Amino acid sequence: MTIEVRNVSKSFGAYHALKNVSLTVEDGELMALLGPSGSGKTTLLRIIAGLDQPDSGEVLIHGQDLSKQAVRDRRVGFVFQHYSLFKNMSVFENVAFGLRVRPRHQRPSDVEIKRRVDELLGLVQLDPFASRYPAQLSGGQRQRVALARALAIEPKVLLLDEPFGALDARVRKELRRWMRKLHKEINVTSVFVTHDQEEALELADRIAIMNAGQIEQVATPSEAYDRPATQFVSEFLGFANRLACQVENGVARVGGFALPVELENYAGDAVAYIRPHEIGLARANGHDIAKATIDSIVALGPSARVDLAFGDDRLEALIDRERLAELGLSVGDDCAITITRAHVFKSA
Amino acid sequence: MSGDRRDRPALREPRWARWAIFVGGIGFLVVFVVLPLATVAVEALRKGFDVYRHSLSDPDTVSAIHMTLAVAAIAVPLNCVFGVAAAWAFGKFDFRGKTILVSLIDLPFSVSPVIAGMVFLLMFGLQGWFGSWLRDHHIKIVFALPGLVLATIFVTLPFVARELIPLMQEQGTDEEEAARMLGAGGFRIFWSITLPNIKWALLYGVLLCNARAMGEFGAVSVVSGHIRGLTNTLPLQVDILYNEYNMVGAFATASLLAGLALITLAAKSFLEWRYADQLALTRR
Repeated sequence: MTIEVRNVSKSFGAYHALKNVSLTVEDGELMALLGPSGSGKTTLLRIIAGLDQPDSGEVLIHGQDLSKQAVRDRRVGFVFQHYSLFKNMSVFENVAFGLRVRPRHQRPSDVEIKRRVDELLGLVQLDPFASRYPAQLSGGQRQRVALARALAIEPKVLLLDEPFGALDARVRKELRRWMRKLHKEINVTSVFVTHDQEEALELADRIAIMNAGQIEQVATPSEAYDRPATQFVSEFLGFANRLACQVENGVARVGGFALPVELENYAGDAVAYIRPHEIGLARANGHDIAKATIDSIVALGPSARVDLAFGDDRLEALIDRERLAELGLSVGDDCAITITRAHVFKSA
Repeated sequence: MSGDRRDRPALREPRWARWAIFVGGIGFLVVFVVLPLATVAVEALRKGFDVYRHSLSDPDTVSAIHMTLAVAAIAVPLNCVFGVAAAWAFGKFDFRGKTILVSLIDLPFSVSPVIAGMVFLLMFGLQGWFGSWLRDHHIKIVFALPGLVLATIFVTLPFVARELIPLMQEQGTDEEEAARMLGAGGFRIFWSITLPNIKWALLYGVLLCNARAMGEFGAVSVVSGHIRGLTNTLPLQVDILYNEYNMVGAFATASLLAGLALITLAAKSFLEWRYADQLALTRR
C-alpha cells in the first residue's frame, strides 16, 4: 500500500506547522521523517493517521482518500510516542482491543482472538507477559506491546511516533535491530518520526528530512549524507565544517582549493560544507596550498578528531590515529591541509 | 521510601519536637472530630436505648429519613452524570470560554447556600417568575420534593466535576486516541477506556456529593417550608427538634446523619482495601 501526501498545509493559530508538503511512500517501504523538534514531523504523521485534519491538501492511502472513510475501515496502525497503553487492561487485552471492538459481523470468535493475540505476542517476544499490566513492564516491553496492538488490526500502513524516544541507549539499539528485522518479516508500509539521525540512517529505506514545516530532501540514507540537497540537510545530518567561499565558472574556491561544483550559472558568494573525514592532513613543508594550526586532538576509538585553526575559521578533521602517529603531528604544530570534497550552496 | 528514617540525620527531629507534633495532631482530631461525634452518641442515648428507638420511630422523623434518602437518590445520580459530562468536556476538549465555564462550576462553593435557596424561591415560588404558570398547571416545586432536589443539586454541583476535571486533564487524550485508531467508537471508548481510568475519582466524588446532599441545611431550609412529615429532611428535623428543647430527639436524629457519614466512610475504606492491588497497578 502506498501513501501519498499531496500539498498538505496545517496551521495552529498563527503558527504554520506544515507548508504545502507532498510526499510519497512506496509499498512496503520503511520511511523516516527526520527533523528537529518543531519541524512539523509529528503533525504530518498525525495527519497521515487521520488524527488531525489538514487545512488543505489530501492524504491518499492506496489511492483512497482517508478523510472520507470511517476510522475502523481505515486500518491504520499507530504507535504513540508514550505508547498510550490501556492502563486498566492486561497486555493480552491491550492487544486484543482492536479485534474486540469490531462490529459483531466482522468480529473474530474468542478462540480466534486468542490465537491471533498469542501469535502477535510471540512475534514481539512477549508471550510470558500476557497477563501483566502495563505498569509492570519495562519501557522496551511497553513499546513492543504498543507495536503488537497496532499490528493486531492488520494495518494497511504502520505509523510510529518517536518509537524509541523514551528508551535508554542500549535498549534503543537492540529494539532498532529487532524492528528492522520485523519490518522485513511483515513488510507493511511504515512511516516513523524521529529526531535522532542515527536511528533514521540505520532503520529507514528512505529519509524525509523536515525543517520549519517543509520537506527539505527525500533520499536514501547514503544519498542524503553524500549529496545533501540543501544547507539545512548538510548541517543537520552529521557534522560538517562550514567555510565561506567564492564560486565562478562552475568552480568553488575553498581555502585555496578549486573544487568543481554544480552551480554552473552562478558567480558570487557561497557556503561550502566539508565533512571532517574529507579534510586531509600532512606535515607542513613550506609549499602548501593551505596551512592550519592544531588546537587540540581528541581520541575517539580508532580515529582522532583534530581541531584546527584555519585563518579565522575553525575546522574539525577526522583521521586514523595510526595515520596521525605516522605524521608525528601534535598539539600546537602547523600542518598542511587538503580539501578533497565540499558541498557548496549559494549564500542566502 | 528507602532506608530507615533514623539513618538519615537530616530528617531526625529532637524528641520533644516529634512528641509535640504528635500530641498536637492527635489532640486537634480529638477536640474537633472525635469529641463532637461522641457527644452526639452520648446525648442521643442519655435516656436509654428505648427512648432513643422511640424518638427515631416518630412518624415525622421517619418521613424526614424518607425525604433525605429520596432527595439524595435523585440529586446524586444527576450530579454524577453532569459531573462526568462536564469533566469529559473540560478535560478532553479545548474550546472558547472554557476557563469561564470551569470557574462557573465552582460558583455553588462560593455562594452561600441560603442564596441558592432564595433563587429557587424567587423563580418557582408563588410570587416568583414562573409562579403563576406553575400554579395554573398544578405543578408544585417550592415547598415540595422537586424544590428540595433542585436546591440540593445546586449546592452539590461541583463535587463530582471538581474531583474529575484535574484528573481528566492530566490523563489527556492519549488512550482515547489509541482506542480510536484501533477502530473503537465513541461510546466504546468512553465505556472501556475513559470510565475505568476515572472510576476511583468518580467514586470519591459521588461519596462526597452524597454526604453533602444528605447533610445540606441552608438551601434546603429556604425551599422546604418546614412542613412536618412532608417536606422536612433530616438536618431540618434536627433543627426543629432542637428548637423545641427535645434534646434526645434532636441528637437521636443527628446520630442517624452521623451514622450515614460513617457508613459512607467505611464503604470507601472497604473498597480501597478490597481493590488495593488494582489501585496500585493502574496508578502510574
